[in-house]
Amino acid sequence: MKQIVITLELPEIEALVKHGDKEAIAKASLDCVKKQINEGKLQVGKESSIEFGLIIDGKSLTFAMDKTLVNDFMDLAMSCATVICCRSSPKQKAVITRLVKSVTGKTTLAIGDGANDVGMLQEADIGVGISGVEGMQAVMASDFAIAQFRFLERLLLVHGHWCYRRISMMICYFFYKNITFGFTLFWFEAYTSFSGQPAYNDWYMSSYNVFFTSLPVIALGVFDQDVSSRLCLKHPSLYQEGVQNLLFNWVLILGWMFNGLLSSIIIFFLTTNSIIGQAFRKDGQVTDYSILGVTMYTCVVWTVNCQMALSINYFTWIQHLFIWGSIALWYIFLVVYGSIPPTLSTTAYKVLVEACAPSILYWLTTLLVVISALLPLLSYRAFQIRFRPMEHDKIQIQRRRSESLERDVAQSRLSESSETRNSSELPEEVRIRINSLKGSSRRKNS
Amino acid sequence: MSSYTPSSSAGGVGSADSAAPRRNSKRPKYSKFTQQELPACKPILTPRWVISAFMLVSIVFIPIGVVSLLASRDVVEIIDRYETECVPQNFRNNRVSFIQSDANKTCTRRLTVTKHMKQPIYVYYQLDNFYQNHRRYVKSRSDSQLRDNSSWNDVSSCKPEDDSNGLPIVPCGLIAWSLFNDTYNFSLNNQQLAVNKREISWKSDRDHKFGNDVLPRNFQNGTLKGGKSLDPTVPLSQQEDLIVWMRTAALPTFRKLYGKIERDLQPNEVIHVTLENNYNTYSFNGKKKLVLSTTSWLGGKNDFLGIAYLTIGGLCFFLALSFTVVYLVKPRRLGDPSYLSWNRNPGGH
Repeated sequence: MKQIVITLELPEIEALVKHGDKEAIAKASLDCVKKQINEGKLQVGKESSIEFGLIIDGKSLTFAMDKTLVNDFMDLAMSCATVICCRSSPKQKAVITRLVKSVTGKTTLAIGDGANDVGMLQEADIGVGISGVEGMQAVMASDFAIAQFRFLERLLLVHGHWCYRRISMMICYFFYKNITFGFTLFWFEAYTSFSGQPAYNDWYMSSYNVFFTSLPVIALGVFDQDVSSRLCLKHPSLYQEGVQNLLFNWVLILGWMFNGLLSSIIIFFLTTNSIIGQAFRKDGQVTDYSILGVTMYTCVVWTVNCQMALSINYFTWIQHLFIWGSIALWYIFLVVYGSIPPTLSTTAYKVLVEACAPSILYWLTTLLVVISALLPLLSYRAFQIRFRPMEHDKIQIQRRRSESLERDVAQSRLSESSETRNSSELPEEVRIRINSLKGSSRRKNS
Repeated sequence: MSSYTPSSSAGGVGSADSAAPRRNSKRPKYSKFTQQELPACKPILTPRWVISAFMLVSIVFIPIGVVSLLASRDVVEIIDRYETECVPQNFRNNRVSFIQSDANKTCTRRLTVTKHMKQPIYVYYQLDNFYQNHRRYVKSRSDSQLRDNSSWNDVSSCKPEDDSNGLPIVPCGLIAWSLFNDTYNFSLNNQQLAVNKREISWKSDRDHKFGNDVLPRNFQNGTLKGGKSLDPTVPLSQQEDLIVWMRTAALPTFRKLYGKIERDLQPNEVIHVTLENNYNTYSFNGKKKLVLSTTSWLGGKNDFLGIAYLTIGGLCFFLALSFTVVYLVKPRRLGDPSYLSWNRNPGGH
């Protein structure tokens, strides 16, 4: 890397300073800085294949940010790989950050630990404060606070990556689940001559986003990890997924919305064609409005929760509890709500216990609809992982493969070593292999 | 540093370059939950999983489809559409005025049994183009009045059928007012076929939603009769036709249970139906059908479920096969690090 230095510690300037004429000093300094900037630009223009580092000190920075010079200065700075502004005042730090933000339009991150960094931290899009040697002022002015500078790597590569994926997936999934639910209501309206009669009991609709589909979203938004933290640090280019906005673009959003539309069509039409019309139980009873509502709602709750289970790939006990628990909660709710006297439970009175549960058709319809609604996403994911895997998919697969390889090797070595243990000593290379495997598994678990 | 620097941060501050034990005092307590290192299972859609998932679905669905289709084929159903043919020829162009007049509305129909029908045989009436699920219609009832004699006055939600001649109607509302009033009488070989009209409604309705102390009052007393009249001496919990009708249907085409015939019917028997064509569906071009149907363990006759299961099962089988072919023909060594993008384009984005 080559250096370009812009400084006012030059003999001619120092000579002028001795004389003390402020105006002359200012003018000369301005010209000097301008000259150095232009020289720098020429240099960068000539040799475009190597990287440059720009070093500028605080005094020169005052002149470089003069109206006439600032554009040239920013051009030069943007074409260098690194810029070091040393001896700058807090105000200059803030102004530089603002300039970079406005000129490039990119997201800026500032990190600092002292009170002189506060202006810069607040100016940047993301301010990271280090709590420590110089007090807590930086921490109080920042968006994120860390204890040591080296934690910045983990903040960006691990937590930044996870956070990006979690938020984008959560938003897309939220659209999906509400579109699925809302469109079943819409298709039903077409059959009520658009009079506004909802397909479900009021309480079902109120509790949809509160009880039956909210916890899995929390599990996704708070706990999901596509790649473990060790692998995030090992493959820093995973961070590019966020920079290039690969997980939250219009194609993905519209794709999820389309999935919601498709799910709602499948749910509505399969349910109505299966249970409406003929008797739905052996005792000759036919479905009425409340039974259709319960069946469709059951299918919706199952479908959106199973779609969640298909989309996340990190299952702890929390995810299992939230996803399957939400589905179980729906049945429990039906039983409890159905046992409240009909003054309060109106159309839901004993609907599961008396009408739906003894009907085999109800359960078969639920199974059919849920599996059919899951098929599009499952096929798409299988296709996508096979033909166009994203970076984190590839890393997951590589991890799985290397894990199984290590397991196989360890097993074969163990069986070998148990055979040879009968003889009094282990062969040299077996011992070396076992040690190296132990070391790698220790590294894996750390 | 000012003298106000709190001691804890001084402790942490000084520890930056002092010995390790001091540094650990600021570190939060480790727990698997807060460090997001809970034991987790991380499933991946490998080819094996994809193909087995599709195969499992098809293995489960195809037999279910076959069984459902067989059950549906077992059900015997006789449907007879009669609203046009039960209007005498001279009134065919003006059916609305016929139905609203006092003319004789008796009509005889013949139904031929095609296959052996085991009892109980369920008799339904089916209406088309009748929007029992319209919001204003569904709202037009008073549940408190139906349940309890003391609330006979509670008719506010029943407009316009809330009162007539100044007195509240029991049961009020459009749903009750439009009660279906065609009747069917069945005879076989000149012998009456009994139709059991008990227990055709849901038990929870009879016991908890329609009171046994509520008697019909002032019902169908207005200028325009919408449907059947109710016997004012029979409490609502025993008026099963009303209870069945008040359970509003889900879609504009629906069936409601009329009764049960509790004897077997042999093939080629001819049933004579004497029906009273009272109900006015002509104002809105609705259809009326009489349905006799047996049931199986699955319910009535509907091939849709069986066909849907077979279709989905077949589709999954096809998907499993095509994925197998794809994975065999163009195998890609999974986990091959040479496919990672930064290994393919070193040094560039």
